Amino acid sequence: MAVLTTTKSTSPAPAPPRGRRGRGARRTPPLVLAFVLIPLLAEAVWVFWPALQGFYLSLTSWDGVSAPTFVGLDNFREMAGDATFRDATWNTVLWLVLFGGLSAVLGLATALLLQQERRGIGFYRAALFLPVVFSLVATALVWQAIYQPDGVLNQVLESVGLESLRHAWLADRDTALYAVIVPALWRQIGYVMVLYLAGLKGIDPALHEAAKVDGAGPWQRFRHVTLPQLRSVNAVVLSVIVIDSLRSFDVVWSLTRGGPYHSSELLSTYMYSTAFQSLRLGYGSALAVVIFVLAFGVIASYLVRAFREAD
Amino acid sequence: MTNHQTSRRRFLAGLGAAGTAALLSGCVTSGSSGKSASGGAVTLQSNLSAPQAKAAMEDLVAAYVKKGTGEVSLNTVAAETFRTQLPTYLTSANPPDVYTWYPGSVADAYARKDLLLDLGEVWESPELAGYSKALNSLCTATSGKKVFVPTTSYWWGMFYRKSHFAKWGVSEPKSWDDFLDLCDKLKSKGISPIGLGAGGNTAWVASAWFDYLNIRINGADYHRGLLAGEHRFDDPEVRKVFDRWQEVLPYFDPDGTAVAFQDASTSMLNGRSGMMLIGTFFADAAPKDALDDIDFFRFPVIDPKVPLAEEAPTDGYFAGARTGRHDEVIDLMRYLGTAEAQEIYIKGSSGTVLPCHPDAGDAGTPLVVKGRAHIEEAAEITQFFNRDSSDALQPTADNALTRFIAEPKSIGSILTTWQRDAEKIWNA
Repeated sequence: MAVLTTTKSTSPAPAPPRGRRGRGARRTPPLVLAFVLIPLLAEAVWVFWPALQGFYLSLTSWDGVSAPTFVGLDNFREMAGDATFRDATWNTVLWLVLFGGLSAVLGLATALLLQQERRGIGFYRAALFLPVVFSLVATALVWQAIYQPDGVLNQVLESVGLESLRHAWLADRDTALYAVIVPALWRQIGYVMVLYLAGLKGIDPALHEAAKVDGAGPWQRFRHVTLPQLRSVNAVVLSVIVIDSLRSFDVVWSLTRGGPYHSSELLSTYMYSTAFQSLRLGYGSALAVVIFVLAFGVIASYLVRAFREAD
Repeated sequence: MTNHQTSRRRFLAGLGAAGTAALLSGCVTSGSSGKSASGGAVTLQSNLSAPQAKAAMEDLVAAYVKKGTGEVSLNTVAAETFRTQLPTYLTSANPPDVYTWYPGSVADAYARKDLLLDLGEVWESPELAGYSKALNSLCTATSGKKVFVPTTSYWWGMFYRKSHFAKWGVSEPKSWDDFLDLCDKLKSKGISPIGLGAGGNTAWVASAWFDYLNIRINGADYHRGLLAGEHRFDDPEVRKVFDRWQEVLPYFDPDGTAVAFQDASTSMLNGRSGMMLIGTFFADAAPKDALDDIDFFRFPVIDPKVPLAEEAPTDGYFAGARTGRHDEVIDLMRYLGTAEAQEIYIKGSSGTVLPCHPDAGDAGTPLVVKGRAHIEEAAEITQFFNRDSSDALQPTADNALTRFIAEPKSIGSILTTWQRDAEKIWNA
């Protein structure tokens, strides 16, 4: 809306735009107001109000049946001494680094590989993007079958003579977390690839031409032309990855439920199990608040940076 | 991407909605007595979502409606959803009327919060007069009110296939030492002696081993006290349970914590594992031709001085205190307690359960006849870990027991952690 009014004001006469912009804002069409207010109202009822409730619940002790009792910051104090919370935080960090890092690197690699228009390239792109279409719960079911003690993975290992590596992948605390990251990655790579493909499409081919004429090799062109041009996409990918990592839940829950004995527990699964299995909804809400603060911190710092750059 | 966003929002919204619901219900309880609409069909909320059980429930409801004294609308919900939603159902302003659930500690926990309807009238009716004393006390809350109508029960035991035992030349053990010998023999033949099935989403199955070892070594009284928080999980008595367990642990299927009980029972039926401590519900998934070949023996007695106890959970119904259809609910409950109703359910389901009504006929198969005798010989009956404590305590056991099976040497720290986790639940 602001863009519209400014272009209108600048085109007829180069008058100082300040006064006109102010008048334009006062004459907001009712339709635009409706477009803003109705979603805001829906958002307030379905998102903001419940979120505030969540904040309040994090200060209470509540079993979901009796009335919640206010306990102040006790839940957060308990968190400080909770070994499972520490493990879950560490696993979430590990998840962020492995899942986030690998999906960014592999997503960029596949995008570079598949950016040229060649015969049949569409097939490969579709194949890599396909996992994004499946629900993660369905994905988890497929991978559960792969990881079974007599599942595909162990059979393949056996057929190539690696019986010694045979494993109950999801039931061993040393492998469970990594075994869960793989299906999540399998899905995320396709998504990141599409983001990068769009970014690569936006790079002016003339830049590459010029670099080539100047005698830059493929690596130099990637390092000094492609990467700087992808900066805005990188920011999007980063925030998507961080948020996706923090809210990863479905794939972990359907494969291991955070087990065996908390070894694949993430903050999100720990929150769910304390709230809805142990029925300690106060402590669960406190965990949700922590997750919210982490996610919000990342998004806010990204937004601040983005706005500063725009200025 | 979009579906992620919505699911996150929906989750937050759900969490908040739960909070709002609590606030609203708070207003309701303080304002008026908050009864649901009266008249109309009684809603029966059922967690029996397995195909056979669901069909049996439909038969049962149809039979009741045909009687013409009342209307019922059956609402079948997935078991996992049902369990997590139950507190919300019971506290909401317009709740379902009747619920499938468990008697004992679980029901009492709700009764103590005044969420369950007093079913004293139902128990006064002649239909329920013949119910055993044990069932009577199981359905009585701390307040002395009757809050539950029991309908069927099943039992746990060491299940095996007769033809496999004959082929391997082994027989049912009588004592703990016999049992270890049997495991040894099976292992030497290259068979996993004991299947478990505590992987997938059924980690709770491992609690059967804890329950049985505890009631065999420390007795049912101690077991109930422990689950109620009167003893500690890091007591030496509990330690003895795990010392015993370590003797048999080498005979457990190495994939025990990797596969769900359904897969583990298939392994047992196929002869890859020898036997399995499980409840009769596993037979629902067994092929018809295997059913006649299935047999079981009692979990071996360890200390003959401890009164014989068996794990035999009872299922049935309770009603929400906020129902507005009091008379209709009582009428339905009275019917559910009759021999006729229980026979209809047994006929429609897999038929491995025993009716609670003394005059109701069971399926009559040799397995069921043996099961009935098995329960009757017991001096004490326990339900199951979660039923004798609460659903909230179950995950603490799952973590402790799967960790014990993987790292039996660190039992000391496992029990300390278990006690700490359990205290959080008891104090919640």
